[in-house]
Amino acid sequence: MTRGALLRFGLLLAAIVALPLAVRPVVASEIWIFAIAGMALNLIFGYTGMLSFGQATFFGLAAYTAGLMMIHWHAPLLVVLAAGTVVGALAAAAIGYVCIQRVGTYFIMLTFGFNQMFFFIAYKWTAVTGGDDGLPGIPRPPLALGPLAIRLDSSLRYYVFVAAVFLLAFYAMKRIVDSPLGVIFQSIRENPGRAAAVGYDVKRYKWIAFTIAGGFTGFAGVLYSMMFGIVPLESISWIISGDIVFMVLIGGIGNLYGPLLGAAAFKWLSEAISVVWERWPLILGVALVLVVLFLRGGLVEAFRRLRDALGPRARPEPGAKLPVGIAAETEAGS
Amino acid sequence: MNTSLLAGAVLNGMVTGMLYALMGVGLSLILGLLNIPNFAHGVLYALGAYVMISGAKAFGFLGGLLTAIVAVAMLGAAIDYFGVRRLYRVHPDYILLLSFGLSLILTESIILVWGPVGITFQPPALLTGAIDLGVTAYPKYRLVVMVVTTVLVLGCYLFVTRTRYGAIIRAGIEDKEMAAALGINIRRVFTLTFAAGTGLAGLGGALMSPVRGLLPTMGIDILPFAFVVVVLGGLGSLPGAILAGLLVGVVQSLMTAIWAPGADASVFALMTLGIIARPQGLLGQR
Repeated sequence: MTRGALLRFGLLLAAIVALPLAVRPVVASEIWIFAIAGMALNLIFGYTGMLSFGQATFFGLAAYTAGLMMIHWHAPLLVVLAAGTVVGALAAAAIGYVCIQRVGTYFIMLTFGFNQMFFFIAYKWTAVTGGDDGLPGIPRPPLALGPLAIRLDSSLRYYVFVAAVFLLAFYAMKRIVDSPLGVIFQSIRENPGRAAAVGYDVKRYKWIAFTIAGGFTGFAGVLYSMMFGIVPLESISWIISGDIVFMVLIGGIGNLYGPLLGAAAFKWLSEAISVVWERWPLILGVALVLVVLFLRGGLVEAFRRLRDALGPRARPEPGAKLPVGIAAETEAGS
Repeated sequence: MNTSLLAGAVLNGMVTGMLYALMGVGLSLILGLLNIPNFAHGVLYALGAYVMISGAKAFGFLGGLLTAIVAVAMLGAAIDYFGVRRLYRVHPDYILLLSFGLSLILTESIILVWGPVGITFQPPALLTGAIDLGVTAYPKYRLVVMVVTTVLVLGCYLFVTRTRYGAIIRAGIEDKEMAAALGINIRRVFTLTFAAGTGLAGLGGALMSPVRGLLPTMGIDILPFAFVVVVLGGLGSLPGAILAGLLVGVVQSLMTAIWAPGADASVFALMTLGIIARPQGLLGQR
């Protein structure tokens, strides 16, 4: 690990410890939960170059699955987490298979369309999902490790658990991104045509990326379902999909820490503003427009610019990437 | 189900279907030129409806329609001129995100100006009541909406395929750089197409306001269906958008009559089947 990477990781640990002191533990938990979902989108958007506007499909499906398993079968915590991850990955494998047949705009619209399909099913299938009222009464089972059963009933205890599994997810994502597979993903982002020309099955790798992301998103969905003891209908709606895109974009795409910053900024701001003003999505919209027009690298880019402005000695790290842009994905690509 | 109900459902489907086609045609043209699905298309439809009710209070029903189309088209032109234009050189995904941000802003602005509660709106007295069509009695206003949207959609098709300016738009969709190289002011074409496409959405919202009523979320609710129409019809294909619009409208309406909970989901199932069977869309070329 380079000094820079070590420093960033140290800052992350410090943030995990400090966060529940700065905001309510519930909001702090939400931040790391959405950071996981953001990392997943970052894998397919920032690293592989596919913008999915339907991540709530996997988030919501896993949340409902987990909720139903806990309500009806009293399933243990780790089983539910595993099940949600699998459901997210399987749904992403099925939906992704159709979506990756097309690129660019079509891909985005397909992911959005599927999201709406599952939203309407959840909305109308009230007997199972509770429809508009959400799925209430979800217990939060203790964490059973062999003979040891750790209760997670207080929001602070739950925060510690969420933070711990977040670190696991972060580590897993880092391993994926740094692996040869991660490099293939990035080559597809940079130039799908050339990746295909050197012998990689572009569609297959896109499918793999999409499926992995679905698993991570499902994992986050399970954590979300246990947080408030209810799965709101919103969790499978395009609003959450949009929020996830938003967080990744605000944070900075194609950077492991971007979605973390984005989730923290997004959740913290929306918590702070929604108390003051009910119409806070308006401010969100303005922020998004401003980011898109003036700060396309997100917060990571803002920090970089700040550092460059403050420190004349700043020099690029070895292997540092150029300021991130989204790869040109062309029709010729697949 | 008896014939009267069935006929009513099919007619309802055609009314919504032509509305989808109208939205789809605008989206399709914008998509063809800019390579983005305009996420703000839905909220501009909603804005058309809201401007309509305010305009109708001041200038009467037809005045309201005119206000709606002009206001929304001008807003569309402004969005292109001040926002989209700045993003031509970066990846199209950013234009999409811009339109998503605008969609949030406009939805919240509608709530701020007109309130969060649903509003009902009456068609002009001349067009209230129903006509007996033999198989079923059907509201006059809906028939008028069907005729008007059909004329508009066909007009768009003829404009794009038969006029000189339509040829320029098609050239822009086919190859922007070549069109620009031949001396066409392609940016102006973009702005005008954006204005026309969004104006049609605004007009669609205005026309439908007496049929469906008004809700701040009405734009977000209709947007996915307009997307389905474009995907199913085929990128840039206007006849495809019309066909897909009618298909989606009628399927949705019939499913509502048969098994309401599955109505909306069935539309997306239809899209999925369509994409698997014909990835380029029903009448798409690529």
